[in-house]
Amino acid sequence: MKYLDLAMNAASSLGAEYADIRIQKTTDQVIYLQNLSLKHTNTEVLHGYGIRVFKDGAWGFAHNNVFSDEAVLATVQKAFEIAQLSASVNKNKKLRLAPERSYIATVKTPVKIDPFEVPLNEKIDLMMEVNRTIMAYEGIRQAVFYLVQHKDEKLFGSTLGTRLDLSSLFIDPMIIATAVHEGDSQSRTFDEGGRAIGWEWVLELDLIDKAKQIAEEALIKVKADTLGPEQRRSLILDPNHLGLTMHESVGHPTELDRVLGWEADYAGISFATPEKLKNYRYGSEIINFVGDNTLPQGLATHGFDDDGVPGQKWHIIKDGILNEYGSTRDTAMEIGLGYSRGCNRATYYFDQPINRIPNLYLLPGTKPLTPGELIADTEDGVYIQGRGSFSIDQHRVNFQFGGDFFWEIKNGKLHRPLKKVLYKSCNPEFWNSCDAICDERFWRPFGVVNCGKGQPSQSARMTHGSAPARFRNIRVGGSQ
Amino acid sequence: MNSEKILQYIKQHSNADDWSLFISYWDSHETRFAQNGITQHITGPKLDITLNVSYGSKSGSCTVNQANDESLEFLLKTAQDIARIAPEDPEFMPSAEAAELPKVNNCDEETKNLDPKQMVEIVQKAIDKAKAFDSTVSGMTEKHYHNSWMFTKNGFAGHSERTGFGHSMTLKKAEVETKVDYEAKCFAGFDLDKDFAQLQSQAIALADLHVFEPQKIAVIMRPSALMELMWFMGWMMNRRQSDEGFTPFTGQLGKPFFGEKFSWFSTLQQPQLVARPYDYEGNVSREIAWVENGILKNMPTNRYWAKKVNGTPGSSYNIYIPGGNSTEEEMMQMVPRGLILNRLWYIRTVDAKSGELTGMTRDGVLYFENGKVQHAVNNLRFNEIPHDATRRILALGASKLASASSMLPTMLIDNFNFVDKTSF
Repeated sequence: MKYLDLAMNAASSLGAEYADIRIQKTTDQVIYLQNLSLKHTNTEVLHGYGIRVFKDGAWGFAHNNVFSDEAVLATVQKAFEIAQLSASVNKNKKLRLAPERSYIATVKTPVKIDPFEVPLNEKIDLMMEVNRTIMAYEGIRQAVFYLVQHKDEKLFGSTLGTRLDLSSLFIDPMIIATAVHEGDSQSRTFDEGGRAIGWEWVLELDLIDKAKQIAEEALIKVKADTLGPEQRRSLILDPNHLGLTMHESVGHPTELDRVLGWEADYAGISFATPEKLKNYRYGSEIINFVGDNTLPQGLATHGFDDDGVPGQKWHIIKDGILNEYGSTRDTAMEIGLGYSRGCNRATYYFDQPINRIPNLYLLPGTKPLTPGELIADTEDGVYIQGRGSFSIDQHRVNFQFGGDFFWEIKNGKLHRPLKKVLYKSCNPEFWNSCDAICDERFWRPFGVVNCGKGQPSQSARMTHGSAPARFRNIRVGGSQ
Repeated sequence: MNSEKILQYIKQHSNADDWSLFISYWDSHETRFAQNGITQHITGPKLDITLNVSYGSKSGSCTVNQANDESLEFLLKTAQDIARIAPEDPEFMPSAEAAELPKVNNCDEETKNLDPKQMVEIVQKAIDKAKAFDSTVSGMTEKHYHNSWMFTKNGFAGHSERTGFGHSMTLKKAEVETKVDYEAKCFAGFDLDKDFAQLQSQAIALADLHVFEPQKIAVIMRPSALMELMWFMGWMMNRRQSDEGFTPFTGQLGKPFFGEKFSWFSTLQQPQLVARPYDYEGNVSREIAWVENGILKNMPTNRYWAKKVNGTPGSSYNIYIPGGNSTEEEMMQMVPRGLILNRLWYIRTVDAKSGELTGMTRDGVLYFENGKVQHAVNNLRFNEIPHDATRRILALGASKLASASSMLPTMLIDNFNFVDKTSF
C-alpha cells in the first residue's frame, strides 16, 4: 500500500484535481492442446502500475513496471505533464468527473478450488483424455482443447481517499472438434465463454461427455444440408448463441463513450443517441436488459471499476424502451447524468481504463415456458446453438450472425440438422421481433473474454445471459 | 533494458536440454482524441521476457515483464517446472540454430525521438483544421519504438529494432463520416496538411447520399479496403490447415487458384515496408512469392509441418501486392457502373472451408456511372470469397503504402457480392 500513498500525495502536491494509481498483477495460465500435441503451455505474469492524473479537464496516464519510490514519483510526474499537455488542447472542451465518494474495501472472487493451485499435470491429463475422446471418432480430423485461467490482483488508490484491494479470476475451457467429409470441413465447439469461478466448475462440466457430444455433432454437421435461399423465418436462439448477439447489438450501442463519439475513429459510434433515452422502442415489451456488475460469477463483477466506483445493477432497456447507458465518471457528465454506473475498466496495468459493457443480460420470460414448448409452438424456423460468424456496422444497426449448430424446425419439431446458416437483421427490428422468452428455469450465462475495443486495443470480459428466445420474421438463409 | 544480462542469466542457470529466449521492449506514446478534444493520453515502457524450455520433447514456457533476478528466477523455474510435467510432444522441434539474418532497416531516429509536445501539436492542428471546416475530428497520434531479441541454446541470435508513427483522423460533418490514416516506420513522410485535404475532399464527395440496394456490382477497392480483405484471406492460407482439409486451399498448391492478375509477396526489397528479419521460430525472412500470376506458390508453414511435408518453413512478414498503371478515372471507364470503397470493417469468416467472408463498407462509398462519380451511397454488407474475387480483377492501380507492413494497389473487381445495406 505504500506506493498508493506515495503516488497520491505526489499527484496532489503537483496540483492534480484528481489522480489514481492501479497496481495490477495479471497472471495467465494458457494451455493449448491440439491432436495430443501441447502447442502452448505458458504462465504469464505482468506486474506494474498505471497512474492517471486529471488536470484542467484532461487526462494523463503513465505506466511503469519498475517498483521503487523514484520510479513511482517519476511516473506521477510524467502523467501530470501529459495531462497538462492534454489540457492545453481541451481548453474549450474540458472533461468533468461525476462525483464519487471514497471507499476502503477488499473484494475477492469467491472460489472453492483455486484453479492456479490445481496441479498442472491434472489439467493436462484431463485435456489429453478429452482430446483422445474426440479423436476416437472416425471422420474427426482435429481436436482442440484451449484452457485459459486468468487472475487480476489490483491495489487501487485515489486522491478521493479510496483504497481498494481487488482480486478477480476466471476460467475458460473451450473444446473444438473438426470433421472432414466429402470436400467439406465443419467444426463444433463447446464454449461457455468463461466464468468467474473456481476449478470446481470444470469438475462439474463433465468435459468427457461434452467431448463426445461435440464430436458427434461435428460429424452430423459436416454431413448436414444447407438451408438454401434466404427467406423470412422464425429463429429460436439458445443462450450460448444469443449472448454474442446481445453483446454486439445491445451491449456496444449502449456504451456511453460510443454514444458520445469517443470511439468514432476505430470501434465506431452508436445509433442509440441520448435524445432516445426513455422514449425509444429498442425492443418488444418483453425485452428487459439489465446491466449488473454485481452478478455472481460474472466476468465484470470486480467489486469496483477502475474509477473506484462500486458495481451496480440497473435497467439498460426496460419493457422494450432504451432506459440508460453503461457509463464512467467522465462520460456520465457529458450527458449530465451526475453519477457513473461503474463501467470503466482496463485490461492490463499499462492500459488506461475505458467505458466497457457491464455484465448485461436479458431477463427471462415471466410466464412458464420451456424450450420444448417454444419449439412445439413454431411452425417454420431455425434453432441455433453456439456462436459463429458475427459482423455489425460501426453504428451498430445492421448485423449478420452465423452459429455453431443448427436445426430446421418444421411443424413444431426439430426436422433436420443444417450447416452454414446465416441470419441478417438490424436494430431496432430484431429486438422488436422477439415474441417469446423461456422462463427463469432456462436462463443461462454466457461469457465473453475477448471483447476488443479502444486505441490502443484492449480486451475486456463480461457475462451475458438469457433463456432461449424466439424472433419472428427474420431473414434466414444459407451462405454461398 | 539489458538483454545480455537476461541471456547470461538463462545460460548460467538453465539445466534444460533446449531453450529459446524472447525479449521485447516497447516505448510508446499515444494521444487519443475524439470530437475535437483529447480523451486519452498514454505513455510508458513495456517489457516482455518469454522463455521456452524443453527436456527431450517435453516443453513449457513462461513470460514475465521484469528483468530483476527474482523475476528471472521465477521465469526459469516456472518454464522448467511446466516442461518436466508436460507429456512428450509428438510434434516437438528443437530450437533454431545459428543463422545469417538479412539486414533490414526498420528504425528511424527522428521517429524514435518524437516528444509528447510535438505529438500534441499535431493533434491541436488537426482539431483546428476540423473546426475551420465546421466539423469534428477523432483519431489517434502514436509513436512506438520496439526492440526485440531472440536467442536459443542451439545458437540462434537475432535482434530486431523498429519504429512506428501513426496518425488517424475520422472526420464528421453533418451526417458524413470519413477517415484518413497514416501509418509508417518513419514520421518524415507524414504530411498533416495533405492528409486533411484528402479528408475534406472525401467528406465533400460524400455529402450527397442516395439509397443503394445490395447487388453484385463492380467495385474500385482502394488500398485501405483491400488491406483488410487480404489480411483475412492470408490468415486462412496456412499450409497445415490446408493440407488437413480445413481451408479452400486444400490441394491447390502449385495450381492457378487465383486470378492471373493477382500476385502476393512478402519482400525485403521495398524500403517503405517494415520487414522483420526472422519470425518467432527463428525462420529467416526471405523473398517469398505466396501467389504469383494467380498460381498458389507457397503457404505459411511452421518448421514441424515443413519437415513433415518436405516443404520450406516461413511466415508472412509483410504484404506486397504489385499493382498496375490504371487510374481510378480509367477504371471508371472500364465498367458501366460501380462503387468506390474507401475502407472495409468488421470482416469475419462465414465459412472457413469455402473461404467466405462477411463485412461492411465504412467511411464512404461512392457510386459511379458513365465514367464519373455520381453521388455517395449508404454502407453495404458483403458476403464474398476473396480468392474467387481475384479471378474477377479487371484492372490494377499503382501499389501504395496502406500501413507500415502493407503495400497494395487499388483494384477494380467485377461482380462484388453485396447482400445487405444499412441505414447510413
